[in-house]
Amino acid sequence: MSKNLSELSLRQGIIDGLFERISRTAVETGRADPKLLQQLADDFLIGSASTYGAASFYDFMKAENQGKKAYVCNGSACLCAGTQKAVHKALSRHFDSTQIGHMTCLGRCHENAAFHIDGKNYSGSDLTDIEKIIGQSQKNRDSYSVKANVELLTQEIGDLKSFYEPLIRLIDSKNLDKALEDIKSSGLRGRGGAGFPIGLKLQICRDVAADLKFIICNADEGDPGAYSDRYLLEERSHAVLQGMMIAGILVGASWGILYIRAEYPESVDQVQKAIEELQNLDLLGADIRGSGINFGFKIIKAQGAYICGEETALINSIEGQRPEVRTRPPYPTVEGLFNKPTVVNNVETLASLHYILKNGGESYRSLGTEKSSGTKLISLDSFFNVPGIVEVEMGTPLRTVIDEMGGGFRTAVKAMQIGGPLGGIVPVDKIDELTVDFESFARNGFLLGHASIVCIPEGFEMIKYLEHLFDFAQYESCGKCFPCRLGTKRGQELLEGAIVRGQKIDKQLFVDLLDTLEQGSLCAHGGGIPLPVKNALRYFSKELEPYFIHN
Amino acid sequence: MRAYINDIAYRAEQGESILSFCNRILGKKSIPTLCDAPNLEAFGSCRICSVDVALEKGAKTKTMASCHSMVTEGMYIYPNSTNIRRLRKNIIELVLTDHPLDCLTCEVNGNCELQDVAALTGVREVRYPQGAHHLDRPKDLSHPYMTSDLSKCINCYRCVRACDEVQGQFVLSMAGRGFDTRIIKGMDQSFMESDCVSCGACAQACPTSAISDVFESKAVRTDTKVRTVCTYCGVGCNLEVSKTEDQINSIRAPYDATVNEGHTCLKGRYAFKFYDHPERLRDPMIKKNGQLEKVSWEEAYDYISSKLLHYKEKFGADSIAGISSSRCTNEENYLMQKFIRAVVGTNNIDGCARVCHSPTALGMQRTFGTGAATNSIEDIQHTNCILVIGANPTAAHPVTGARIKQFFMKSDNVSIVIDPRKTELAKYANFHLALRPGTNVAVLNMMLYYIIKEGLVAEEFVRNRTEGYEDFKKNILEIDINEMERISGVDRDLVREAAIAYASAPNAMSFHGLGVTEHSQGTFTVMQIADLALITGNIGRKGVGVNPLRGQNNVQGSADMGVQPHQGAGYLDVTDPEVIKKYENFYGVSLPRAIGYKIPEMFDAALEGKLKAIWIIGEDVVQTDPNTQKVIKALQHTDLVIVQELFMTETAKYADVLLPGASFLEKSGTFTNGERRVQRVNKVLEPIGNSKADGQIIIDIMNRMGYEQADYTPEGMLQEISQIVPFFAGIRWENLGVNGLQWPVDTQGKDTQILHSDTFKRGKGKFEFHPFEESNEIKLHAKDYPYILTTNRDLEHYNCGAMTRRTGNVLINTQDALWIHPDDAAQHGIGQNDWVCLESERGKVDVRALITRDIQPGVLSTTFHFPEIMVNNITSDEACSEALCPEYKVVAVRIRKSKGKHLAKV
Ligand SMILES: Cc1cc2nc3c(=O)[nH]c(=O)nc-3n(C[C@H](O)[C@H](O)[C@H](O)COP(=O)(O)O)c2cc1C
Ligand code: SF4
Ligand code: SF4
Ligand code: SF4
Ligand code: SF4
Ligand code: FES
Repeated sequence: MSKNLSELSLRQGIIDGLFERISRTAVETGRADPKLLQQLADDFLIGSASTYGAASFYDFMKAENQGKKAYVCNGSACLCAGTQKAVHKALSRHFDSTQIGHMTCLGRCHENAAFHIDGKNYSGSDLTDIEKIIGQSQKNRDSYSVKANVELLTQEIGDLKSFYEPLIRLIDSKNLDKALEDIKSSGLRGRGGAGFPIGLKLQICRDVAADLKFIICNADEGDPGAYSDRYLLEERSHAVLQGMMIAGILVGASWGILYIRAEYPESVDQVQKAIEELQNLDLLGADIRGSGINFGFKIIKAQGAYICGEETALINSIEGQRPEVRTRPPYPTVEGLFNKPTVVNNVETLASLHYILKNGGESYRSLGTEKSSGTKLISLDSFFNVPGIVEVEMGTPLRTVIDEMGGGFRTAVKAMQIGGPLGGIVPVDKIDELTVDFESFARNGFLLGHASIVCIPEGFEMIKYLEHLFDFAQYESCGKCFPCRLGTKRGQELLEGAIVRGQKIDKQLFVDLLDTLEQGSLCAHGGGIPLPVKNALRYFSKELEPYFIHN
Repeated sequence: MRAYINDIAYRAEQGESILSFCNRILGKKSIPTLCDAPNLEAFGSCRICSVDVALEKGAKTKTMASCHSMVTEGMYIYPNSTNIRRLRKNIIELVLTDHPLDCLTCEVNGNCELQDVAALTGVREVRYPQGAHHLDRPKDLSHPYMTSDLSKCINCYRCVRACDEVQGQFVLSMAGRGFDTRIIKGMDQSFMESDCVSCGACAQACPTSAISDVFESKAVRTDTKVRTVCTYCGVGCNLEVSKTEDQINSIRAPYDATVNEGHTCLKGRYAFKFYDHPERLRDPMIKKNGQLEKVSWEEAYDYISSKLLHYKEKFGADSIAGISSSRCTNEENYLMQKFIRAVVGTNNIDGCARVCHSPTALGMQRTFGTGAATNSIEDIQHTNCILVIGANPTAAHPVTGARIKQFFMKSDNVSIVIDPRKTELAKYANFHLALRPGTNVAVLNMMLYYIIKEGLVAEEFVRNRTEGYEDFKKNILEIDINEMERISGVDRDLVREAAIAYASAPNAMSFHGLGVTEHSQGTFTVMQIADLALITGNIGRKGVGVNPLRGQNNVQGSADMGVQPHQGAGYLDVTDPEVIKKYENFYGVSLPRAIGYKIPEMFDAALEGKLKAIWIIGEDVVQTDPNTQKVIKALQHTDLVIVQELFMTETAKYADVLLPGASFLEKSGTFTNGERRVQRVNKVLEPIGNSKADGQIIIDIMNRMGYEQADYTPEGMLQEISQIVPFFAGIRWENLGVNGLQWPVDTQGKDTQILHSDTFKRGKGKFEFHPFEESNEIKLHAKDYPYILTTNRDLEHYNCGAMTRRTGNVLINTQDALWIHPDDAAQHGIGQNDWVCLESERGKVDVRALITRDIQPGVLSTTFHFPEIMVNNITSDEACSEALCPEYKVVAVRIRKSKGKHLAKV
């Protein structure tokens, strides 16, 4: 995090900013071109180490990405589904091994066997049609089941003009206090993982005086197994955009930035289309409806780095800096993007705002539980008989989600990882103790997180799953803080040694490592990985014990 | 606010980090850290500083990094709980899984922060099996100073942050991510290939030996450390010199130095090896039969004193002149002017300020009454606008330049550069007014015009504290904007916007350099800069004012001490009978009544046969004064040329007597930096060979010539100076402390950060209008010599380069180069690095071309650090009409591609 780099990046604005220009240097070969990076460094007066260092961070710009043409999904769900080998084999018939890379979770967890060619995602049975796929220009939309026990986020958008009624009313009436009151009283908490009340966040940012502020929609849904944000971006784009504008107007931001992960090319297209529709409604640009309010959207396509979902890393990424996590305070609401006050919220959080403005805070609050109001989207993977997205009222028993809405498991499952790679590993015999809300999960030593469910089948060795988690953690660590940079790597090595070479793991060392990560890490990436591991050690001790020794 | 450490209540400050709170209460280093550094922002990477925190007594604790977590009301902090001690040990164990365990042979053994913290945590083994590592990263020994051995890197980012937050150079970053994250220079290059400016901030910041320097400045040896002040530029950085017996090992920058806060440039930190260079003059020499021969001090003294007495008797005291050195201490400068005035009996004393900031002293004296910086470097922290005019501080005043650059990078600040070249700062500035060289007065009058037009005059200030405004205003409003725009080549709207920005900033300060003074209208330009401050009321408080960037380390001091022909010690007028009486009483002799020669007048007098003897201390007039051939002739015409030097400079070659002086490392005294800060220079070593402290040499001769002066000690000299220089009244050697005092210092010892807070020295600030006037150089020669050459300095070399060319700097910057715009180069068929012949009315020189868009078409620029180029062969006799400062910045030349034949023999 460099204040100077933030400032120098701001000088050339957001419309064609440093990050996008760095991204373009890799278009030709898949690897950022050093000559172009030097040029950019000169244009921005930031030194070539800055542009080179930033580019080298991302999967889709770093040297190793040069010449890659096809990517196999190596996310947790595809791993557990066991589809990766077949995908790799099929791709090998058309590409040589240097042309095949991997991407982590394409959000096709409902049918797995996911892969990516030429800026487009494929999954399920697409594998049989690779010949047809190559060189095809149409984007490839998938379909999956969407169910709800309360329809709020999953509601049809319908007529655009009437859908944007809440926003229009806000703009015309300028009754910002009332709107903010509603959001606060709704009790809506962030859906990106940490569960922070959005009303409070908006209030803090609103109270900071500044001539430039930003709203960022965190659409970097990086959790393998999660695709509910993708669903909203592609199928309910206008709910997301409206939420951003509401939040923006409340804090006095004139820019809404959507940071969308590169692995979701279709989402970028859908959101772009929606922005154009909004433009046609004259609800964007300068002096909207003669209100004096200005607002514009900007989509930024990420370049492959899980940590960019962490809000301060995301901010650094947009600025064209290395997306390393920043220290807090100052919080982004006070000093965020380009050192200006910034609100970062998850897609799902923002997509809920229009409902609150339309129906009032109390109406929202009446849904769900005391501390977890509203509804929650859950992503179900292909181990369910009815995979797809479900929307449930907070407080719904997990059993209902699994058996009634998901139709039960397709094959025997021993545990589920819920809430992404940093979420808990929930053994199936705990299902009945859990309801879908923040408190129930926390109380039981798990984490609701973003509420994706990845099933670990009976036959999948837990030690391998843990190795997979640590491998993910070390691969995606930003590398800034000592415990995570070193600890995730050593953890992965210990587990690999146990699996591959039969080296037993010193239990005390392993426990020390988990404690160090948990207590010492700067962010929830390193700090979060011990949770599922500890869950596994507790609930699958029998299976795991042989890999450890007690000194 | 109250917070608890180990359950004991203490008072905490709002906004204080837990780390600084604990350190304040429990003592420095009460909490170990690795990524924290005194001059860097909290970063939070090492997590070693973690502490346990509970929000109320007995509540569940949470582990937090203390460096970036703030203390809150009623917080319970446990800085060293069992849990925390285990955590730190476990983190260090992880660090050691990727760190070579070869401490005993490591450069920083015994002075390594990783060692210290590891010892503290009591880690005794690394339990992890051997895994991936970075132990085989190769060393980088490409650079004359900077080194790296990144196998020792612990990824604390201190170097990256130092290069960014302190130097602002962005040479270093990380590449890759996660475990593969690794330090890079530039695009994964070596130090030598990168844009590194060798400031050494990264090496000093690095807690291990991963980034260091060839002097192994972090190594522990049986050494002693001496704090002193840099000998190069007027910033006046404090240095900590480490030596073993009579060898200097290395130099570091003290963090508690007010001036430089742990920073230096490469000259201060690394360019010290000139001190024992084989070419150092080690013995006095006298020219016998056309050859300089070694003699004893006795012989040299006898020779000099008998000669001088002879000339004085035969031709009068005015046949003798002295040039004192701004590189020497205040005490020595005081002695030299005293010698010339009281012992020889003439006012023929001048110094290098003549060729640099004499217009500043004069101009500011005319407007304010005092010819010195009104404010302090520290004020950069308190201003909203900085105007840099005719200065390239990132090269010539690097530490101040780095601070200004930091200021320029922040978008809320207003930054204005007025300079013909696109200097490094100009690239970062909001406004760059790229004027044609020689048109400062035109552009500043335009600015003043717009400030008045836009109604941005600070009326009340002007009414209460200035005089002459109405006439001034009338004159300004009458200037011909069309004409000024055409002459200067700067768009009027740009000037207008810059003027508005300057005048509207709550606090605006200006910095100026030799691009202001070294012009035919130099003094007037200084007065206009002062007018800008007056008209906007930017005088007399923090974050405002007029701040000349003084060139040489002690150019301020030499002027303060009376090294000028018209003013004695303390700037008192040598023609004023009252003053004369005062000096005569003090020196105990009768003194001359007439103003003496300025340096150019000395040369004229020599050519006319009027000057018989000249004593030049530490000043290479042949290489650095304009019109070299004339200077040489003048020296050849002078019977006795005494040169007191460190090296056989171009000037020393014309000496009849050569006296080996001592470098700043070999004597004590004081230097006064550009913000009037008088700082202690402490002797590190005895003078090398047979050389002597310059002050002692002067005293020896004084005594020989019959004037009793006690031996040179800084205590004794300051005692004497404080009695005659009013603003030194309270300055005593013992009271200067580590950070010195800013004059005026009253008898109680209280110093002054900001001048003119309530009144000006001359009563009211004076507005005085001067119209733009084209330089004679252009008027007379532009037709035949259509290009304008302007001279400047580079970061790596210092003026004539006598010192820096005898250090590793010469491997970094190997030659003078001619900046030329690509269009001009193309027109003359000149390629990159081709020889270009520059021809002026005075002669020809050849310089290598450096084709760059940082210079405008029609304008050329070059440095004068290398004697083989001898650029001053072509500079002119034009000078500031008021102060006689030479016009180095405007030389009419023509150019052609050449073969490099016009090189001086050295
Ligand atoms: C390692 C890591 C990854 C994250 N990834 C995401 C993400 O993909 N999407 C997201 O919305 N939030 C993510 N977050 C949480 C964000 O930092 C931030 O809390 C969130 O965007 C705030 O929005 P919310 O309050 O609406 O949840 C992540 C956090 C961490 C520590
Ligand atoms: S915990 Fe990991 S991802 Fe988070 S800041 Fe530390 S190194 Fe980066
Ligand atoms: S020496 Fe100075 S410029 Fe060079 S890399 Fe280090 S901090 Fe940066
Ligand atoms: S080189 Fe030194 S300062 Fe830089 S990251 Fe490595 S250990 Fe830290
Ligand atoms: S900035 Fe000036 S005083 Fe400081 S180290 Fe460099 S040359 Fe010396
Ligand atoms: S000193 Fe606080 S994390 Fe390093």
